[in-house]
Amino acid sequence: MKTEALIFMALSWGSILALLLFSYIRMFRKK
Amino acid sequence: MSNHREQWGSKLGAILAVAGSAVGLGNFLRFPAKAALNGGGAFMIPYLVALFLLGIPLMWIEWTLGRMGGRNGFGTATSIFAAVTRNSTAARILGAIGIVGPFIILIYYTFIESWTLAYAYFAFTGTLPTTGGQPELRTFLSGFQGLEQNTYFSHIGPAYLFFTITFILNFFFIYRGVRGGIEKLSRIGMPILLILAVVLVVRTLTLGTPDPARPDLSIPNALNFIWTPDIESLGNARVWLEAAGQMFFTLSIGMGVIIAYASYLKKDEDVVLSGLSAASTNEFCEVILGGSVVIPAAFVFFGAVGTMEIARSGLFNIGFVTMPLIFGKIPLGALFAGIWFLLLFIAGITSSVSMVQPAMSFLQDELKISREKAALILGGIAFLACQPVIFFLGHGIVDELDFWGGTVFLVLFATIETIIFGWVIGIEKAWEEMHQGAEIRVPRIYRFIIKYVTPIYLLVILGAWGYQQFVPTILMTSVAEADRPYIWGARALVFGMLALVIVLTIYAAKRLKRSTTTVEVVHEN
Repeated sequence: MKTEALIFMALSWGSILALLLFSYIRMFRKK
Repeated sequence: MSNHREQWGSKLGAILAVAGSAVGLGNFLRFPAKAALNGGGAFMIPYLVALFLLGIPLMWIEWTLGRMGGRNGFGTATSIFAAVTRNSTAARILGAIGIVGPFIILIYYTFIESWTLAYAYFAFTGTLPTTGGQPELRTFLSGFQGLEQNTYFSHIGPAYLFFTITFILNFFFIYRGVRGGIEKLSRIGMPILLILAVVLVVRTLTLGTPDPARPDLSIPNALNFIWTPDIESLGNARVWLEAAGQMFFTLSIGMGVIIAYASYLKKDEDVVLSGLSAASTNEFCEVILGGSVVIPAAFVFFGAVGTMEIARSGLFNIGFVTMPLIFGKIPLGALFAGIWFLLLFIAGITSSVSMVQPAMSFLQDELKISREKAALILGGIAFLACQPVIFFLGHGIVDELDFWGGTVFLVLFATIETIIFGWVIGIEKAWEEMHQGAEIRVPRIYRFIIKYVTPIYLLVILGAWGYQQFVPTILMTSVAEADRPYIWGARALVFGMLALVIVLTIYAAKRLKRSTTTVEVVHEN
């Protein structure tokens, strides 16, 4: 894959996965 | 204050129901096509900007307004808007958009959803002509839709049968209620949807180089095709507008359904983290799963030029012609085609059941009609309203209903609710209300975003869409003379429903003597 395509894919997937993990980990974290 | 309103069985159930409402056909069909046509990887810049400045703020606004309404015994924007404006009739009337808009979408969405169920059946039973090429599949689709009689279908009967099954299934879950119907559907449907989507993503990304004679048509090159950024496209206002539009379609914002769903939360249930979780679930399904099936699969079989043509060919062509064709070229194609259409059906039904909920809440909470009777009344109205869509499909009724219900009303309603939230309630009180029971604090920059950036963003979209689409659509400049009576009929349906809901909401307000009611804007314990 081209580097620029890889960077855009990684940043897009990364930001969405980070948002998803953050929200679900916070939700299921024991209070 | 009603003591008999339903509540979600669990917070996760509410989040999955909102995510189910948001994840629809658009995640798997509309997003990849829009990304391919609007700069590839570069499209993600305006898309993510729209997510953080428009999508997530509107999620929080709708979750907060909904919970606030539910605490006072109602789940529709009519009563919420009226209550926070000291019973302004104008605000109540504007709130009616949040009941009628989603109901209008339901009228055509259920029919399209029924095609996915039918195609899943055809695929699993091996009757879908996946090896016949595009003309065959187009003929099959036209015959199925009743647009022509051909060797596959001599009448609309099969389409009507699958529509009836889909319609009954929808209203079965609605009849069973928020907890017993919609929540159960979402808790079962969403995990299945995720599994099916992951299966299809894995299958697509392991296609390798299907034609050894064309080594350039490979999955790495397909990913290059969709993700290589065309930075120059960022200077094009249309790309930014397309990204903002996609945000509306994908998150179910501006419809009134999230307000209705959030009204069934417990009075101190968190809305900040829940809204974020629902939004991020939808984005995962859209960008990561939805972005990894249609376009990469199309690229390895049709190349870059063919894929751009496919992306331009419209959602129906992508979903019901191109994808079966692609599955016809791979081993176990019928099975994967069946999985594809089942995935679309589950995505569709978890969305369509939500479109009735504002009207259900209105009938139950404000007209004091039982849930069962409300479901039967709305089912009857929706069934009748669906008939012109089914029998006059080729006359532009779907496009006209989509223009009002799926475009104008969405942006208008979102603009109104944002102004009410940030300016009428006031950002101080609204912020406090939003954080009642919150499990995370929203960064303070969002006070500024919600008060200024989101409404300005919305007004710009409203202005641009009004300039580009409103006048030509109103004047029917691209509608054939023969189709104009059908378009007038669709408009009569939209505005007839709006007028009916406005009259009923004013009647309900007077009957319930809510003239002194004010919403408890900030809950105090």
